[in-house]
Amino acid sequence: MPDPIFLVLSAVVVVSAIAALEARELIYGAVGLAFSLIGVAGIFLLLGEEYLAMFQIAVYVGAVVVLIMFTIMLVRRDSGRPAEEEEPGRLGRAGAFVAGLIALAIAAAMYLVIPYSAEMPILSEISLHDLGRTLASGYALALVILGLLIGATAVGALTLAKIEPEEERGGAA
Amino acid sequence: MEPLSSYLVLSSVLMGIGIYGLVSKRNAIRLLFSVELIVNAANINFAAFARFSNPPIMSGVLIVFYSIAAAAMEAAVGLALILVAFRLNGTIDVRRLNRLKG
Repeated sequence: MPDPIFLVLSAVVVVSAIAALEARELIYGAVGLAFSLIGVAGIFLLLGEEYLAMFQIAVYVGAVVVLIMFTIMLVRRDSGRPAEEEEPGRLGRAGAFVAGLIALAIAAAMYLVIPYSAEMPILSEISLHDLGRTLASGYALALVILGLLIGATAVGALTLAKIEPEEERGGAA
Repeated sequence: MEPLSSYLVLSSVLMGIGIYGLVSKRNAIRLLFSVELIVNAANINFAAFARFSNPPIMSGVLIVFYSIAAAAMEAAVGLALILVAFRLNGTIDVRRLNRLKG
């Protein structure tokens, strides 16, 4: 008997992911994406990883979705009707076919590879204390590299999005 | 407690939805949505495998931290690229952004 909470969370994740891709207005799609990410945070909670759920909501829903919404507002002129005329025929069917095939292949591979003995209950908890200690000792170098990467990415994104005066006049032609 | 396989099935469904979006959508922002969905499917897999092993694997949880951070950076750069493409071309339809096509 499946856990009803898991079923509800999975339904939220899957339905709002589909809504994110199929909503007519792009901004509603962003809201759907936010709900899907919140559902994934719920899945993390169900797995007993509260800090991951917190991080997921803080970073994804708090930062990424808001960033996406700002971008949608900035490119608003374009993302109205004409750009949204998806061709539902050939391309959509090809996409659904490819996606279904890949999902089926992954699911089949997992059923073949993973024995049913993997269904043991979760025994011990990972405490936040242990996690922090591991992060700061064994994975300190990775943490530093991640920080440098974040800095470089921020500079890169700012450089990309900056409006150059001469580019604005001549480059767009 | 749910078995491991239901988490894996959920993540493969989510990944299927993401790939469907990548293949069939034309709006660059929707492609970014699809990438985020695929990254989340991978994160669910990492978290589930980390928890279902005994004892739980610490690095499986840590890699989800790193993955979320990296996905946030990727979204920032991707959105900056979309803004530049919109400024230069007046469209974010990826079927019409084909100036580099050989």
